[in-house]
Amino acid sequence: MKLTRRMTMAAFAAFLAAGSAIPAYAADLIAIITPSHDNPFFKAEAVGAEAKAKELGYETLVLVHDDDANKQSQLIDTAIGRGAKAIILDNAGSEASIAAVQKAKDAGVPSFLIDREINATGVAVSQIVSNNYQGAQLGAEEFVRLMGESGNYVELLGREADLNAGIRSKGYHDVIDEYPEMKMVAQQSANWSQTEGYSKMETILQANPDIKGVISGNDTMAMGAIAALQAAGRKDVIVVGFDGSNDVRDSIKSGGIKATVLQPAYAQAQMAVQQAHDFIATGKKPAEEKQLMDCVLINAENADQLETFALTN
Amino acid sequence: MPGMRGASVIVLAVMMGLAGCKIIKTPTAEESATGGFDPDRMVAEIWESKVVPYLDKRAGPLSEVASLAASNLEAAGAKYGHKEKQGSAPWTFAARLSGTIVKAETKSRSAYVEVDADGDGKADARVQIGPAIRGTAIRDSLDFVNFNEFKNQIEWAQYGKAFNTHVNGLVLEKLSRDQLVGKKLEAVGAYPVPAKGQLPLFVPVELTVGG
Repeated sequence: MKLTRRMTMAAFAAFLAAGSAIPAYAADLIAIITPSHDNPFFKAEAVGAEAKAKELGYETLVLVHDDDANKQSQLIDTAIGRGAKAIILDNAGSEASIAAVQKAKDAGVPSFLIDREINATGVAVSQIVSNNYQGAQLGAEEFVRLMGESGNYVELLGREADLNAGIRSKGYHDVIDEYPEMKMVAQQSANWSQTEGYSKMETILQANPDIKGVISGNDTMAMGAIAALQAAGRKDVIVVGFDGSNDVRDSIKSGGIKATVLQPAYAQAQMAVQQAHDFIATGKKPAEEKQLMDCVLINAENADQLETFALTN
Repeated sequence: MPGMRGASVIVLAVMMGLAGCKIIKTPTAEESATGGFDPDRMVAEIWESKVVPYLDKRAGPLSEVASLAASNLEAAGAKYGHKEKQGSAPWTFAARLSGTIVKAETKSRSAYVEVDADGDGKADARVQIGPAIRGTAIRDSLDFVNFNEFKNQIEWAQYGKAFNTHVNGLVLEKLSRDQLVGKKLEAVGAYPVPAKGQLPLFVPVELTVGG
């Protein structure tokens, strides 16, 4: 069964390739593959990458893998089949994606990774990722300060297969666990999702009404959590997120969520396209494959300057 | 026996299929996070032989480092600093600090003292004295360690934390927290370019407080 399916897909990819053979006069194509645009973070990445690619004279193919490694693999086939000159990828899992990126490389299509790393080097040309650990430490330091270094709190984790979920949690705990009076009473994954953030928060709150704070692995889960807390009349609970979305900015400004950490998503995506362009045009690789972008703490003091995952001055 | 032959063809096909496969165990999240990787040992092994000598040699007096950084950041970076070649990490400088403690915050777990180095009575640097140390300044000041040599951010982060743990156990835990204000402090260490208007957040690798 599986074999048949795979063969069908291969045939389909070949058909796509033949069916859409690029006319000689067409511009070179860059494929931009990210998780679902339901999360504004990924949307900002795709928009940033697309804008830069068009500015540099490329056609773009914008696709979403919905955090499904099988779907990602099919999309990579599509990109290869369409004759893409480069793939900008926010991947669907740090282990599962290695093979997909390798497949593109073997087909002569270089990949430029953004936001999430894979657990391998020498497969992608670039891996431009936010310094999630540095960012998580900033968020945790602010959280500890807001909590007065003590009290019961809840942690909402991201999707387990995503390395960034683990690294942010580690960054949080490397700071928070230094404070013995900070007590974690619940730790659950809400899979980066706002609706899951809401429902998990609702349940946790019933079992642990005595909480003082919630630290969340991203902004969408934080938005879900604050909504559940507000619905329960718990405006006293301190919520801290991660990403720097406009939704959380607005929540901070209206006294809801207290802080988040900005990842420069838009700039990161644009940088990846620039590196892809340099590589396509000159064969030149960046000096280092893995590149860390520092994050910035956002709270009531600077929330005004935040717009679409970038700080304006 | 056509049925049997059919079966043996399938068996052969399966065996051939297997021969082309390599079975790779999928690590659990915890295994991939640690997997034989021992950052504390790695740091302990290079601390005396490389880390302290490197910072000792590279460090300039904090006032000189800070004033050069203010007028020409790249020049200060080239002379006293280090940063990753790509990405957007700030410079981290090696510096030597000598002065008088003018303020001590020892109630917080991330305790610090503020030090006046130029004798004007005002603080010129904030020295972290643990046990909770913020940031990864020691790791980031070293030109012989590189993120690209690590499997992922988790290992790189654990490595950064291990430097803080090491200096905490070796130096900071032994420091008396009583009546620090007014005492003299001598230190060698590192700090990242501070945000505008903030004091350098200095992490020592060597520290003496007395008199």
